[in-house]
Amino acid sequence: MSKDPRKPISLTLRLTTDAMLTALALGIYFLEAQLPPLVPVPGVKLGLSNIVTLFALFRLGPADAAAVLLARVLLASLFGGQAVSLLFSLCGGVLCFLVTWLTRRLLSGKQIWIAGILGALAHNTGQILAARFLIRQNAIFAYLPVLAVSAVLTGLFTGICAQEAVRRLRFPPRLS
Amino acid sequence: MIKTRTWLLLLAALLLAAGLFWWLGSRRNSGSVVQVIHDGQLLREIDLSDVREPYEFVWEDDAGNRNRIRVEPGRIAVTDANCPDRLCVHQGWLSRALPPIVCLPHRLMIQWKEASP
Repeated sequence: MSKDPRKPISLTLRLTTDAMLTALALGIYFLEAQLPPLVPVPGVKLGLSNIVTLFALFRLGPADAAAVLLARVLLASLFGGQAVSLLFSLCGGVLCFLVTWLTRRLLSGKQIWIAGILGALAHNTGQILAARFLIRQNAIFAYLPVLAVSAVLTGLFTGICAQEAVRRLRFPPRLS
Repeated sequence: MIKTRTWLLLLAALLLAAGLFWWLGSRRNSGSVVQVIHDGQLLREIDLSDVREPYEFVWEDDAGNRNRIRVEPGRIAVTDANCPDRLCVHQGWLSRALPPIVCLPHRLMIQWKEASP
């Protein structure tokens, strides 16, 4: 629940803002992909580009956040060149978005970090489901506890980043 | 609006539950038989306690996806692969405490065989 009074922004400003956020998220995504894996467990990563989705959700609204997320996921797998990664990103991203969207009503501007954690948990759950679908072995669910611990830590980090961004940035400018 | 303290409590409970599941999961397997599975189909079943000499074998599919698997007395690992992330190689030897070795891009998995009830 944003504290800003919901002043409208022009459609052009909204479009350019969403496009810019998508570009930012893509850049962050590929930058993060250059980092060596923190732990040799599939699915464990910082998820830095979720900062942008969280920012869009809490500052602009669900429609803009969904647009930024979907555009980023599609473009990333288009440039990345792996069809499998699209499945994982979509399953994780959509579930993450739904959960953060639903919890947004329960949270104040000082609790965006909680949305970060819950979103990361949902993201990893979605990825596990995709992996279960791919590999067709229930033993893959053994990854859930490991991924849950990692999701709490990385989600806390990205959530705090998003919270600070929402608090400090006066962007996009509102029409008066 | 739910208080931050409530959220922290929920979070702690979640971490505890995850840790507990992890611990229980790592205790369950006591056998020495591992399974190499591709796309849900069992490729090989190896009893690691029967292995005397270390050996390697290569799994390869029609598309050229390749994983080199090393078997030594009591342990097994993926030592080389041509998947993009090579996480299967980085996971090292199959451990009892950690989840199975997976190569998601190749849909390959190495796991402990569940003890039959």
